[in-house]
Amino acid sequence: MRTLLIRCYPAAWRERYGDEFASILDERPLGPFDVADILLGALDARLRLRDRRAGVTQRKGFIMSLRIGGIAAILGAVSLATAWFLGSGFFAVNDTFAGFLLLLGLGLLLVAVAGLTAFQARIDPALSWAAFALLAIGTIVAMVAFVGAAVLGGDGYWNLGMLGLLTAIFGTLLFAIVTYQTAALSRGAALLLAAGAVIPFVGMVTSQAILIVPALICFLLGWFILGIQAIRLDRPATDASPA
Amino acid sequence: MEPTIPEFGRFAEPSLLILVSLSDGPKHGYAIMTDVEQATGRPLGPGTLYAALARLEERGLIEALPPEDRRRPYRLTAVGAANLTEQLHGLSAFARHGLKQLGVTEP
Repeated sequence: MRTLLIRCYPAAWRERYGDEFASILDERPLGPFDVADILLGALDARLRLRDRRAGVTQRKGFIMSLRIGGIAAILGAVSLATAWFLGSGFFAVNDTFAGFLLLLGLGLLLVAVAGLTAFQARIDPALSWAAFALLAIGTIVAMVAFVGAAVLGGDGYWNLGMLGLLTAIFGTLLFAIVTYQTAALSRGAALLLAAGAVIPFVGMVTSQAILIVPALICFLLGWFILGIQAIRLDRPATDASPA
Repeated sequence: MEPTIPEFGRFAEPSLLILVSLSDGPKHGYAIMTDVEQATGRPLGPGTLYAALARLEERGLIEALPPEDRRRPYRLTAVGAANLTEQLHGLSAFARHGLKQLGVTEP
């Protein structure tokens, strides 16, 4: 009976407390109350062990999502900036490749926002979801425009593509705002990102095309700093190597 | 200091009783059980005892000493003593407040 009751506990628990627990059971006559109490104790030990394992898995998953988000942020920003340079007419590259890079960049930024909003979503879920939704809608619209232009041709798709891009940029602005508000990651990087998202709109309104250069620099730097920070977030604050 | 015991859920009260039992010196599991049962007049089951002991040990409020035969004594740590003092002060203040509201004067 006693052995059976002890066997109800998980192996790790038995290894730590098994001997002394068995000694207590040997010293005390067991009544129905004790048996019920031991069974509940065994259930508690199993649930605690499961929760601890789940906690480790959750932490691993969280770190992995930050890393993936960080890498996607850097690659996405580089992809978008490259797409702009290639599509600006300075290089003899066809528009299809630039368009592909643009879509790749937007897709990567979507992954980045999904991975990097773990903190922000706990504090301001509505704004985090709005940022993700706008970026997703912008990416889908740009993708439709890209496929439409490649298959059917025509200038109409260029306007649709621009609409998608601007929607995605607006999503980036919301991501920058929620990141700044919650101080989940670098506020400086969030400000750079916000500037990178706002300046193109200012450039469009004032018809100053040159503003795209500081916008791109801010955009790139913002995503780059956020990406690096997210990748390094799980590292220890001090060097653990022996002196 | 962080109030640790309230986080123990249904093991909060047994944990407090165990800390009080260990406040006058190290004891092994069976001695804690009998001590608590004598002090409160209520049985403390072995399953509850070890669920509470595991939590207290994990939080550093008690520590296990080297086993004596199959028995392993536990003792209060400095953190555990400070936590127990804080809890007892809190309970004392609560009891005074309750008695005052009831209009009962303390002896």
